[in-house]
Parts: sequence; C-alpha cells; structure tokens
Amino acid sequence: MKIRTFGLQFKEGLIGLWRNRVMSLASIGSVTAVLLVLGLSLVLIVNVNSIAEYVESSVEIKVFLIDELDSSQVETIGAKIKQLEGIKEITFESKEQALEKYKKQLGNNNNLLEGLEGENNPLPSSYIVKVEDPNTIGDTAGKISAFEGVEEVTYGKDVVDRLLKSTYMIRIVGSILIGILALISIFIISNTIKLTVAARRKEINIMKFVGATDGFIRLPFVIEGLVLGLIGAVLSSGMLVALYNYFYSIMGRNFGSFFILVSSSLAPFNQTMYNTSLVLLAVGVFIGIIGSAVSLRKFLNV
Amino acid sequence: MIILNGVTKKYPSGTIALNGINIEIHKGEFVFFVGPSGAGKSTLIKLLMREQVATSGTIMIDGIDIATLKRRQIPHLRRKLGVVFQDFRLLNNKTVFENVAFAMQIVESSKREIVRQVPRVLSLVGLGDKAGAYPAQLSGGEQQRVSLARAIVNNPPILIADEPTGNLDPDTAWEIMKLLKEINHRGTTVIMATHARDIVNYMRQRVVTLEKGRITRDQERGGYGLED
Repeated sequence: MKIRTFGLQFKEGLIGLWRNRVMSLASIGSVTAVLLVLGLSLVLIVNVNSIAEYVESSVEIKVFLIDELDSSQVETIGAKIKQLEGIKEITFESKEQALEKYKKQLGNNNNLLEGLEGENNPLPSSYIVKVEDPNTIGDTAGKISAFEGVEEVTYGKDVVDRLLKSTYMIRIVGSILIGILALISIFIISNTIKLTVAARRKEINIMKFVGATDGFIRLPFVIEGLVLGLIGAVLSSGMLVALYNYFYSIMGRNFGSFFILVSSSLAPFNQTMYNTSLVLLAVGVFIGIIGSAVSLRKFLNV
Repeated sequence: MIILNGVTKKYPSGTIALNGINIEIHKGEFVFFVGPSGAGKSTLIKLLMREQVATSGTIMIDGIDIATLKRRQIPHLRRKLGVVFQDFRLLNNKTVFENVAFAMQIVESSKREIVRQVPRVLSLVGLGDKAGAYPAQLSGGEQQRVSLARAIVNNPPILIADEPTGNLDPDTAWEIMKLLKEINHRGTTVIMATHARDIVNYMRQRVVTLEKGRITRDQERGGYGLED
C-alpha cells in the first residue's frame, strides 16, 4: 500500500471518529479506565517487588531469646551460633538496648514507652546475626531456631514472603478487573466502528465493485480503533503520572524524612513511569485493533 | 475473453437461477442479455463479478477460471470489469470529480494520473463542465454518465451495465446508449442486461435471451424477440 493511500485512509478514520463523537468518547473513556487500572496495578507490583528486594538485600537474622536465661546461657547460645558455617558477624542486643532503639524509632511519641523500664521491659534480648551468603539464610535461621533458649527467629525472608504474597493478590484482582474492563472496551469500540461501517455502507459497496482490496476497505476502520486505543493510552498514562506525583508529594509532606528514607527502596520514578506508559500504549493499541477486528468480522463482510 | 461452460447457479432456497449456461463473448463485442425478471440476468452479472460462485460449471475471464481465485485476488478481477447500475450508486457527499477520482484512488493511482485522467473521461461522457457539481444537482441522465465515467476511468477491458437505462426517460436513455456504443468502439467489451425492447431492436447487436435460467436464443445482430 502506498503512503499516500495510507494518508487518505487515515483521514477517513479520523472522519469516522468525529462522525460518532459520543461513542468515540465512550470508547476512549473505557480504554482509559482499563489502562488506568492496569497502570496502577503495575506500579503497585513494581514497587512492592522493589521493596521486597531491598529488604532481602539487608539480610540479617534476629534471634530472640527467652527472658529466663542467665548470662552464661546467653553466652553459650552466642558461641553455638558463631560455630555455624558462614556466619559473618554476630552482635548481642540486651533488653535495655532494644528499648532504647525502639524509643528512638518512635521519636516524639516515645512517651508511650514510659514505665516500661527495668522489670517491666517487654522486649526480649536478642542476637543479630549476619551471614556471608544471603542464600543460606533460611538454613542458618532454621538451625538457630532449634537451639535451646531461643524463643523466635525472624529474618528478611518472612517480610519478603508476606510482601510477595500481597503482590499475588494484586495480580489476581488486577487481572480480573483488567479482563472485564478490556472486554467492555472492545465491545464499545467495536460498536463505535460498527456505526461508521453503517454510515459508509454505500461507499464500501462501491469500493468493492470498483476492485478495492480488503485491506484498503478495512484500513480506515483499523485506524479508527487504533486511534481510540492510543488516545486512551495517552490519557491514562498522563493520569497515572499525575496520581503518582500526587502520592509522592502527599507522602513527602506527611512523613517527611521518613518517607525519603523509605522511597529509596521504591522503584525509581522516571524509569517506572516510562516503562508503564510503554506497556499502556501497547495494550491500548492492542485493545483498539482487537475492537476494530471484532467489528470488521461482524459487520463488514467484504 | 469470457467463456461460460455449463454454468449452473442454485440458491440454498432451491431456486435454480441459471441452468447449464454455455456462452462465449469475444473481445470488443457488444452483447445484450434480455429476458423477463427472474430469468437470471442479475445472477449472471453477480457470477461474472465473483460476488457469487457458480454451483457447477466454469467461468473463464481472460483465461482464468474465476472460481479458483483466492479472496485477495478477487479485487484484481473486478478491476478488469467496469460496472454501471440502474441506480447509479454515486456518493452524494462527493462532487462529480471526486466520485470518479474515488475509483482511481482505490486502485492507488498517483495524484498526477488522477488529475489528468478524470477530466478526460468526464469530457468523454459530456460532463466536462460539471466536475464540481454534486450528484443531487444533476439530472438522472447526467448521474448515469458520472457512473459510466467512474466505470471506465481505470480503462477496464470489460464494461458490465445492469439495466443502465432502467431509471431514465427514453431520450436520456438514448444518450447513454450512444456513450456505451462509443466506449465499445474504443475496444471495450460491453455486456448489458436490459428490458428495453426499443433499444435492443435499434442497436442491432448480439442478443442473448434468457428464460428461466436457460439461454433460449443467441443471435448476432438480433432483436428483443420476446413478447412482454
């Protein structure tokens, strides 16, 4: 097909969109909705994954000890841990140190912890263990938890697993929602194009007997679907960037330096938005073309 | 150029529209297909244009069995056939020039070719001064001439006219016939289905009579020959 022909048919496609303005708007709205949900899910998943990775990289095992141990028993446990393979570093944190640390974390709200000093201190003492190889962390944690006097062992993996479980839910719910919305968009787009097909029935008939190829006749309708998808993609990308920006500014205002700290574990803003927009663009175009393909199969028997 | 061999068309409803048609049409011929409504004239044209496929028998156009054409090859068959209908089938939102140019755009002619060829064809059909008019501003005869111009603008070797004078008064009909004859003289094969007894009798061309899906008469320089 020649470029000039393409230009001609492109114009026809746009004319078709304008002719059914209301339906075109409905189509664009529905495509935008699908892509926005898709974009939000993607951004959420990307970020949770990024946080999970961050947590996983700061691998250390916390070994909480039961309260009733005397200092020699505590030391014995420390020695036993040191004897395990691949241990990089081990530090002891007493109940008092744990409380101090907690107070610092709470900052201005540390009066909540008043009266918990000494006898009343609910926090356990613990060993903080770092391993050489993050991959062995599960094994090592398992061995330590079997030691006598150890109340509980936690390590990054727990948090990571919990986070990954939550992305699983986002994926499932997101996929279902996206699937339903995509079907609705395809339906609306195909009906929009059906209207153009009906309006151009006579023209299509003439094209057929003058010897237009199927591709030539279909092109304007494919373009129509494509443009609907593209506009939806651009709108939803714009909204997503705006929403994400808004989220950042709100978090920054309310949580200040804490958020800046946390945000280093989030996915990088520009990179994420760029990738997500590309995905939205591709999916938008895909939905548009499927929508027009459906209408062409159903209504345009050339 | 066109050879029909034992062509039968049976519709799913059981109607046999054409029954064992054998006919040969040579290059440059002018052929009338006459016969009462329902005799199979329209079906024959639909088969030639490959809008429908014969139930049995073969149709050869330019040495090609058109039943074997793949879907994407059909447009190229149709480019060999110019068609004119009783109801003109013009696009009312396009000017005369655009209506004719449309046929050239479809076969992807260049802008230069279009600008050169369209006025030439319009003046051939006597509408050189109406290029900017819209179909609604034209008389029936003029509209049919536009559709004739559109049919021949791509220089097809065969022109098929399905009742081209059916909606026109006798004087206008004669003008269209003169044009068809002119086009035929330039070497185009013309196939015309019609009811117009006077025209057929006057033109003295080959007349093929169809009745109930069969050819009952095929006469060189014939007349209409049927009682209405």
